[in-house]
Amino acid sequence: MSIKLGTNDLAKYPFLNEASTYVKETHFDLQEFDRTEMEFILNRSFNKIDNFIKNGETNYKLEKFEIEILTFLASLLILKSASIDIITKKFALFESMRFEKYLVEDLKNSFKDEKKRLILLKIFNEIFKIDIFCETIVNEFYKIRVIDYIHRSIVFHEEEWKLINRTVKNGFVYLNVNEIVRLFRNELSLLIIDKIKNMKLVTFPDKVLKKSQNLKIYWDSINKRSKVSDHVNKNRTTPPCIDHIYKVLNNGENLPHSARLLLATFLLFSEKNIEEIIEIFKKLPDYNEQITRYQLEHLSGKKGSSKKYFVPSCEKIKLQNLCHETFVCKGIINPIQLLGKRRDEIEKEEGKG
Amino acid sequence: MIFSTNSKSDLKNAADMLKENEPTLKIDFKNSEPSNNNQLWLKKTFKKYYFKYFINVALPEKINLHEFGFRYFDEKMYRHFSFNSPGEIYAFVLKFSPSDIYCSSSFYRNPSEPMDKKEWYGSELIFDIDGKDLHLECTLEHNYTRCHGCNLINAGVLEKCSNCNGSRLNVIEIPCKNCIFFLKKEVKKLINLLVEDFGIDSKTISVYFSGNNGFHLHVADKDYLPLLSVERAEISSYLLGKGFKLETLGLKINNDKKFIPILKNKQLLDCGWRGRILKNLKINFYSGKNADNNFIKQIEKLETIWNCDFQQKVAKTIEDLSVKIDPMVTMDIHRIFRLAGSLNSKSGFAKILCNDVDSFDPFKDACFFDKSTIEIVSKIDTSIFFKGKKYNLNKGSNSVPEYVAVYLISKGLADINLKEI
Ligand code: SF4
Ligand SMILES: [Zn+2]
Ligand SMILES: [Zn+2]
Repeated sequence: MSIKLGTNDLAKYPFLNEASTYVKETHFDLQEFDRTEMEFILNRSFNKIDNFIKNGETNYKLEKFEIEILTFLASLLILKSASIDIITKKFALFESMRFEKYLVEDLKNSFKDEKKRLILLKIFNEIFKIDIFCETIVNEFYKIRVIDYIHRSIVFHEEEWKLINRTVKNGFVYLNVNEIVRLFRNELSLLIIDKIKNMKLVTFPDKVLKKSQNLKIYWDSINKRSKVSDHVNKNRTTPPCIDHIYKVLNNGENLPHSARLLLATFLLFSEKNIEEIIEIFKKLPDYNEQITRYQLEHLSGKKGSSKKYFVPSCEKIKLQNLCHETFVCKGIINPIQLLGKRRDEIEKEEGKG
Repeated sequence: MIFSTNSKSDLKNAADMLKENEPTLKIDFKNSEPSNNNQLWLKKTFKKYYFKYFINVALPEKINLHEFGFRYFDEKMYRHFSFNSPGEIYAFVLKFSPSDIYCSSSFYRNPSEPMDKKEWYGSELIFDIDGKDLHLECTLEHNYTRCHGCNLINAGVLEKCSNCNGSRLNVIEIPCKNCIFFLKKEVKKLINLLVEDFGIDSKTISVYFSGNNGFHLHVADKDYLPLLSVERAEISSYLLGKGFKLETLGLKINNDKKFIPILKNKQLLDCGWRGRILKNLKINFYSGKNADNNFIKQIEKLETIWNCDFQQKVAKTIEDLSVKIDPMVTMDIHRIFRLAGSLNSKSGFAKILCNDVDSFDPFKDACFFDKSTIEIVSKIDTSIFFKGKKYNLNKGSNSVPEYVAVYLISKGLADINLKEI
């Protein structure tokens, strides 16, 4: 059975496929945004973006679906043309929070309203590629598969999202409406970011360009970025495995968890304080201050009941494929043995042997 | 044979296999010759095992998608090998006689490439339950401590060597019946959680004795194959009972140390960790009007019986119910694991599938060497049970069956008599 969305749903969820179909069917040409009748749409879009990024404001009054679909489209165009990553991300986050409110409302009603429920299941299926199930025994609960849950919950850092604090049974996690929607917020915002990134456009309508120009001016006025300095100390030997991690970091590439753990335990062991270590970890593309701090405190034995983690042995590092052995490693079993050794001394020793 | 993926015919003519699959290698193993007699003898003896029992080795279904690794008797580790058939591995193992064989739980498009070019596309979910993580009291008595300073083997787990007072010591683990019993208990807890909470089909779970002092569980459920490292870590954390919030039980404690009910919908109280803890503490849940009150009253009453506060009791319960897995092993998708059916050089036992966990006895079921008498020089006075028989050894020369010799030499508790070389 194919479920048709109502126009009301399209106004709320303009990112759905049916909304794009609507635009296509009306033969709307993007250059039409230059027409004077369209000005109010562009203004609406610009104000929305402006409100989001400057005031963090999410209050928004819904209009008819035709207007909403075009406003959404125009917002994406403006952001695409401005191409400022952080603004795009911020917009996507606030926009997803707005959709989240509608979803919560609709899901709450869905327990009584069979049709509404089917539409929502379709929405989840279309945009998140996931099945959610209505739990019929316990009222007002949905359930999703454990792996679908973990896949999303791991980006949250509050303990209540940890699987252990959830109702888990037989491969499913039970969630109330607010929780299920909150769980998908990130994805919704990623979806919006993707929509913007994947737009292929040669020429933007002039009026869109003007709006994006305003955004750029605003952004330049507040943007000052500092560079992270290099932390490798040239006089001392750095174990080759650690050296390699620095190289990866300096290239702005990501590190597997095992490498992060090695670097963190090594730096903690070398008496670097957490602030200094955080500076180094800032280079990670997916750097998140809160988690990094938490994990470092955890590793250093400050948080939780956990024991202090030790620097893994060379053997373990080899098993994890992080070893980049050179002559300096001769005869050692743990990278910390190289701590404080001077390179020239090792070279001398090597020369003797 | 209870544990095999290779058919007999696969290996019917070892000599032919060797000829056909003569391994050609980029790496030079010449420097990997054992440097002492114990290693020389073990190498020879391990080779005999592989010649005779290669059928034990449970190779993955699609061999060419896995990375293999080997350790040699000089203790060097080599990784990033790949093979196309059981025959190739067989030939390789017989030619180079490694001390340990590892295989990735991950599938790669290019398993022999360096890590960044391997193209990972999935991994079995693996759990490692290791004796040392159980912190059992018996181990303090029956394990040994070897001193790096004077080489003395001290009976028991000591902080300082009884001879030279040195503190560079390492522990030699000799699991006892009690150790095995508690390891099995963890295995059963783990299976129970995986099935009840995660809905994993028990048919996809294989339990292996690790070959030394623990068990490995492999979950082949295809839904879990694509899980990322962090997601695996979250599963570990669940099993370890880490991060449980009291509020999850449906109450919180206010500033006056009073319980305040906070979950309205209590019908779901009987599952997951919440259900498990409440059940263990014998706290029932009643639905209906007074549900919240009844709930709190029960706890208040129990507190007086327990003679400790609720939070402490919950923490203790979690400690009891959690599974003592090594979380690092589960989350590391690029690790290579001991191959099932291969020998563990820490003990000479095979890592082997346990079809019946309860009846499994490593000193019988994981030990494949023969009865022929071998002369060894024991470093300690000890007695040890193998295949239902007790062997008493005195410090110095002893004649024991080959399987006892392999075990004690692998453990570093005895040396091979020169005449056996
Ligand atoms: S031998 Fe040890 S210190 Fe050297 S690179 Fe390898 S792991 Fe690092
Ligand atoms: Zn000593
Ligand atoms: Zn014991």
